[in-house]
Amino acid sequence: MAPVVQCMGLTKTYGRKIALNQVYLNLERGRIIGLLGPNGSGKTTLIKIMNGLLKPTAGEVLINGQRPGIDTKMRISYLPERTYLQPGMKVLELVQYFQDFYPDFRVDRAFDMLARLQIPPQERLKNLSKGTKEKVQLIMVMSRDADLYILDEPIAGVDPAARDYILHTIVSNYNRCGSILLSTHLISDVENILDEVVFIKYGSIVLQAGAEQIRRNERKSVDQFFREVFAC
Amino acid sequence: MLGKLMKYEWKATWKLLLSANLLTVVMTGLARWMVYLMDKAPYSSDFQMMDFVAVMVLFTYVASMFAVYVGTAIYLIHRFYTSTYGDQGYLLHTLPVDTHHIIIAKMLVSVLWVMMNSLIIYFSVIFLFATSTEIVKSMMEGLVDTLEYLGAEKVSVFMVIMTITAYIFTLFAKVLKVGACISLGQLSSNHKLMLSFAWYVGIYIVESMLQGVYFAIRAAVHSQVSPMNYLSGFGTDWETTLISGIFSCVIFYILTWYVMNRKLNLD
Repeated sequence: MAPVVQCMGLTKTYGRKIALNQVYLNLERGRIIGLLGPNGSGKTTLIKIMNGLLKPTAGEVLINGQRPGIDTKMRISYLPERTYLQPGMKVLELVQYFQDFYPDFRVDRAFDMLARLQIPPQERLKNLSKGTKEKVQLIMVMSRDADLYILDEPIAGVDPAARDYILHTIVSNYNRCGSILLSTHLISDVENILDEVVFIKYGSIVLQAGAEQIRRNERKSVDQFFREVFAC
Repeated sequence: MLGKLMKYEWKATWKLLLSANLLTVVMTGLARWMVYLMDKAPYSSDFQMMDFVAVMVLFTYVASMFAVYVGTAIYLIHRFYTSTYGDQGYLLHTLPVDTHHIIIAKMLVSVLWVMMNSLIIYFSVIFLFATSTEIVKSMMEGLVDTLEYLGAEKVSVFMVIMTITAYIFTLFAKVLKVGACISLGQLSSNHKLMLSFAWYVGIYIVESMLQGVYFAIRAAVHSQVSPMNYLSGFGTDWETTLISGIFSCVIFYILTWYVMNRKLNLD
């Protein structure tokens, strides 16, 4: 079976600035992969290209062997690093919205997660706190049975207790046949759930390896190794 | 998916815009009542309290019509920008839907609102001033005279239908033009809104130039009519409006689709 993601010479420039430089990357199925790099390393640019929100300057990306389009959007569940919800919508309406557009959306799973967090479905999104909005968004994304979950900085800007909830939600709800690509620079918080890591620096992939392999070969945690690789 | 997109576009806009339109209806009722009271009031050369109230109500009526019309346009432009190229665009552009469906859904809902707005204002003015059947009759005669003056030998049902069709296409073109300008502004990494505005001004200038050239040529061909009439816009017939409307629709639609489909560049 083809890798869930294939990047072939992917390059993105903004004027003279190179955001991604000749990225070659294959991501296999059934794995939780950490896309790790400091701020401005090109993580979000790579993710946006996978989702079809940006067009590459050169090279191409294939999701399930296809270029980004309607079919790939049907199979990717994407959590951006910002709130994309309409403030006037009720939580219930948002559930219906996802149900209307994504055939793989599981309504029972969404309501179950909302109930556990005591988020009333009749509440309007504008009345929720920033943290709760982010959780609602995560619930929507993780209620799908996707082939690829792309989560861009899901734990940035939330308190440690909320981080635990978010990571628990991710691990316990994703489709086991699919993969998770989790972008973050907070390595120590996510290290334990990762099967594989991809280090990205100045728009180039500098390492792709198993998390366990790094711990065994380098005799240090992924977090410690990351700090060495990205030391200023 | 087009139906679903339209459903959510409608749901996102109906509350505010319907309230605005209801306000115009209420203001029309109030203004009409004021006109009725003024008609019934005994004549007096002094400026009385009643006159002051009437002036205030009529002024508020005109201001509210203008505010609702301009406000609707601004709201729809803001809605298009935020839901397509703002944060909400992250959700819209990751939905498994065709780009054509996104554009058509937004275009149809926007045109529907602008049309509803225009009709309410149009009927509001008629309702306000049509205080008797004689006035309604003279208003209709005036309209027919104007249409005949604008070029038709005789006003026919066909001509009225085609004029309305041409008007609808012009409306679509206006909505698509705004969408295209906002989309073209996204081609830059910085100052996207400013660039969108620059595109709008640029396109407006080109349109005006083309219109000027067209009218000048027509004036030269139909030498019995003064070129000034054409240059001031009085020479426009429904054929010209319809053709230019359809042509503009096609151009602006293609531009919007091209940016959304081939050059999407969400920050």
